[in-house]
Amino acid sequence: MNDDKLTLYFYKDGLTQAERLGITNALAADTELAARYKLLSNSLSRLSDAEPDAVTPDMMQRFHNTIDRAANRERGATSTTSPPVHFWSFFWGAAITAALALGIGIGVWFGADFEPGPDDGIGRDLFVDVTPQNNVVPVVFQRSITNYFRESQRDITDLPMDAEADRLILILRLIDHNRLFEKAAMQNNSPELARVLRAFEPILVKLAADDIAPEEAEVLRAQLAFELNVMLTKLTRDTSDGRQTYSERT
Amino acid sequence: MVAVMQGGGEPTQAEFHEAITNRADRWFAACLKITRNRAMAEDAVQEALLSAWAKRSQFQHDARLDTWIHRIAVNAALQLLRKNRPASFEPLDFEIPDDADSQEDVHHAGELERDLGKALTHLSDIERICFVLKHIEQWRLREIAEELEINVGAVKQALFRGVGKLRKRMTTLQGV
Repeated sequence: MNDDKLTLYFYKDGLTQAERLGITNALAADTELAARYKLLSNSLSRLSDAEPDAVTPDMMQRFHNTIDRAANRERGATSTTSPPVHFWSFFWGAAITAALALGIGIGVWFGADFEPGPDDGIGRDLFVDVTPQNNVVPVVFQRSITNYFRESQRDITDLPMDAEADRLILILRLIDHNRLFEKAAMQNNSPELARVLRAFEPILVKLAADDIAPEEAEVLRAQLAFELNVMLTKLTRDTSDGRQTYSERT
Repeated sequence: MVAVMQGGGEPTQAEFHEAITNRADRWFAACLKITRNRAMAEDAVQEALLSAWAKRSQFQHDARLDTWIHRIAVNAALQLLRKNRPASFEPLDFEIPDDADSQEDVHHAGELERDLGKALTHLSDIERICFVLKHIEQWRLREIAEELEINVGAVKQALFRGVGKLRKRMTTLQGV
């Protein structure tokens, strides 16, 4: 009998009842086999889990904060009542989306050094040149952020609008990742990219609201999908048209 | 003390905090053994917490909150690993030899039992994942196969290889 059978016997898994019984009988009858099994079971028992890796205090704090943020968001979402004329009503949502789309289109495709006005509101953060500042952005980060935009775009497209809980989970996850990438953008010398990411959050929060109207949700979703697409196009174009990648500049 | 639901109703924010305080290190350790990447392990725990919070109404009251979150975290770690390194889940039909006699191994001989995590670095991804899920997390072979989307035979083979390498390492280094 080979050690593989004895391993399964040790784990009490993966054997039929007849096989288990056969091994039990063999162990009782064959002292050499019994000694071999004892050695194996001793070895496996010694492969016990050690003390867990200590979680650093700041990581522990982040775990606690995650729950607090989720709870706060939930409280905020449930206590929010829709005003008679909601800012993100279909009309205004569509109008702002159109304006943003036009602005971003101009900004991206003409590559203009667009300077936003001081009081442009939420849209202001989106009119940015995502070219990294000071030419010191690791290629790993560029790849990560591109993947993140791509996955977020897919998530937003597939957002389950008829399943509130699932939608909430997905959006909370996006918000969390968004914050991580925002922080990473700052740490990777890309403050403008961080601003773009920051600008996504209020839209995501609106989308997470449980009382959001389907039309409004659709507008916000389309807006996010469009903006993510613009960012992706921009990032991909920077790499593929022969411009220096972030790492090549470093 | 572990977070055990005291009464009916869904787990409260305070109970989540209690579970985090008492068990986050174990969730993180489990995720780290699977991913071998601290950032990914932390992400997995974060996602598990968010998911558990959002689905807390589905929590079975006869279960332990920390155990429930632990399982969600392990699943999250597997998903993250699958997303970041999809090749990790492909069963190998050949064995990658272990390098049990290197200087580093001799140096770390005494640490093997104290740090299973180090020993696990000598296994391939699929061997490590199957070993961790079976030996440490105590999943059924069938559960592992379903989660990894491979057949039970492939799980067994990966497990046997992993166990074999770890035992060989113990024998070589400690004269077991």
